[in-house]
Amino acid sequence: MFTVFLVIVLAVAVQGAFQTRASIAQTFDRQSRIEQAQVALEELLRLQIDEENSVRGYILNRDLFYLQQYAGAVASFDRKEQTVRLALEAEQLNGALTMLEQYATLQQQWRTQVARPMLARPDRSMEEIDKQNKAFSDYENRTADAIRLVLANTNAALALSTQTQINQTLYVRAFWLLVFGLMTILFNAYGSRVSKELEEERTTTEILQRAFRSQHVPLPNCEVGSAYLAASSHLAVGGDVFDVYRLSGNLALVLIADVSGKGVDAAVITAFIKFTIRGIALRRRDPGAMLAEFNTAFAQTVENPYLFVSMFVGVLDTQTLQLRYASAGHDSAFVRRSTGVQQLAVTGPVLGVMEEPFETKTLFLEDGDMLVLATDGLTEARDRSGEQLHEEGAMRLIEQSSVHPQPLADELIARVKALGGNTMRDDLAILAIRVRDPQVSDA
Amino acid sequence: MRKALYAFAIVLACVAMTQGALRAQCTLPIGARVVLYGTSDDPDVFVWDSRFRMRSYAQGSFDQARALLPHALLVEPGTRARIVTCVAGFVESKYSDRADDAIGIVIVSGRYRGRGGWVLETDVRSMLRHPRR
Repeated sequence: MFTVFLVIVLAVAVQGAFQTRASIAQTFDRQSRIEQAQVALEELLRLQIDEENSVRGYILNRDLFYLQQYAGAVASFDRKEQTVRLALEAEQLNGALTMLEQYATLQQQWRTQVARPMLARPDRSMEEIDKQNKAFSDYENRTADAIRLVLANTNAALALSTQTQINQTLYVRAFWLLVFGLMTILFNAYGSRVSKELEEERTTTEILQRAFRSQHVPLPNCEVGSAYLAASSHLAVGGDVFDVYRLSGNLALVLIADVSGKGVDAAVITAFIKFTIRGIALRRRDPGAMLAEFNTAFAQTVENPYLFVSMFVGVLDTQTLQLRYASAGHDSAFVRRSTGVQQLAVTGPVLGVMEEPFETKTLFLEDGDMLVLATDGLTEARDRSGEQLHEEGAMRLIEQSSVHPQPLADELIARVKALGGNTMRDDLAILAIRVRDPQVSDA
Repeated sequence: MRKALYAFAIVLACVAMTQGALRAQCTLPIGARVVLYGTSDDPDVFVWDSRFRMRSYAQGSFDQARALLPHALLVEPGTRARIVTCVAGFVESKYSDRADDAIGIVIVSGRYRGRGGWVLETDVRSMLRHPRR
């Protein structure tokens, strides 16, 4: 809303600036025409004097050069008069046009009544003609003065108009600048508040997640490592959970889950997942049954129809190294063996969507094998060009990482972070458990 | 001739006395020696036999002005004269905020030496020396 308003304010200001620019440009054009007319008028007066001087020069010297000069000045005078006329017509200065016509008529009369007789009979007494000449000259100068005055007044009026327009533009620009500035301040204040709220939510979420993430209980014949990295964006933090919980002497519950939502709500659901699964696991040993029971509890507890959970649950016998597991749509589960990395199959749909049975699978691990569980932040990680890592890429990373769980978890986190240019689109949780065969160890 | 000159001078002096209040506003003092010179483009000067005709010439139409020409002398630029009277702001112009003084003179050089008349303030150049510092 604020952004739209700012854009509108900016658009109005820019449009107004262009409008004013056009208006001022038009006024400057008019001023330019007036100034051209002023210059042309001065040239016209110079040509009038040239005509008179040429006539006087011929009378004094009888040199034909002066006659040529006179003819040239007459032709130039008529052309220049046309230039001034066009400028005055363009500006619709009708009073000045009338005076220009008078001026041109006077000059024409001067040619016939003064110049021509003087050139025809240069020897005769000049007194009367000189007086006529003087009268013409006085009146032409007076008429030119009048035209000058009109042009100067018009020019001054245009200059005043330009100044007024510039002043108005300045006031209007200042007003819009003030509005824009105020809007920006309000927008920033609003943005800061929202940002602060998001940061507070992120902090709350991370605090909740830290609180719900249990310390690993030492498991016999097992080496456990884990890592967690929150997403860069405030809005993407919250839905990952993992747990390693010792059920009895040899049996351990292994859990990793990813809630579809984000934020505080998702963080609370992760707590629900962790403690509900623990409770179920104390009564049931079959991972498929655990998921089925959790699915029912989840549907009854969480009312948000858009929330669902992908989850991997395993029960590891640390003596026999048997792993029984069930996967509700959670495909980021791998076993790293000496022969390579193997992806563990999904055995049912994600939780919170439908009532479906979940198959339990059994897997026997060998000495040195490592169970690597991750959330979708691993397989859906993207490089800078936007290319997704997928399961193949994740398996390749796991294979290239350390053989010990904690260094492996840390390396995976670091590599995924580097892949995206130190930007994490989603949370990423890694849980790695390396088993040791007790018989081999004893031996 | 000399009698006529004296008579004209007396008439001018009388006129000057009636315009005493205005005379003070003239730019040049009575008795000052001046040179007659029009504009650089048109330096000849009309000397009129009446200041009213001079004003009519300056303010009227061209045809009216031409009809008045027999009442004017056309003197060459550089002709010397002495100011005998002055009427401040007598000749107003449509195209100027400032009205010209009408200056009564007696010509003291050239072919019209001894003739009196009226000229515009703008056709007169003072011969006064600048005061010593």
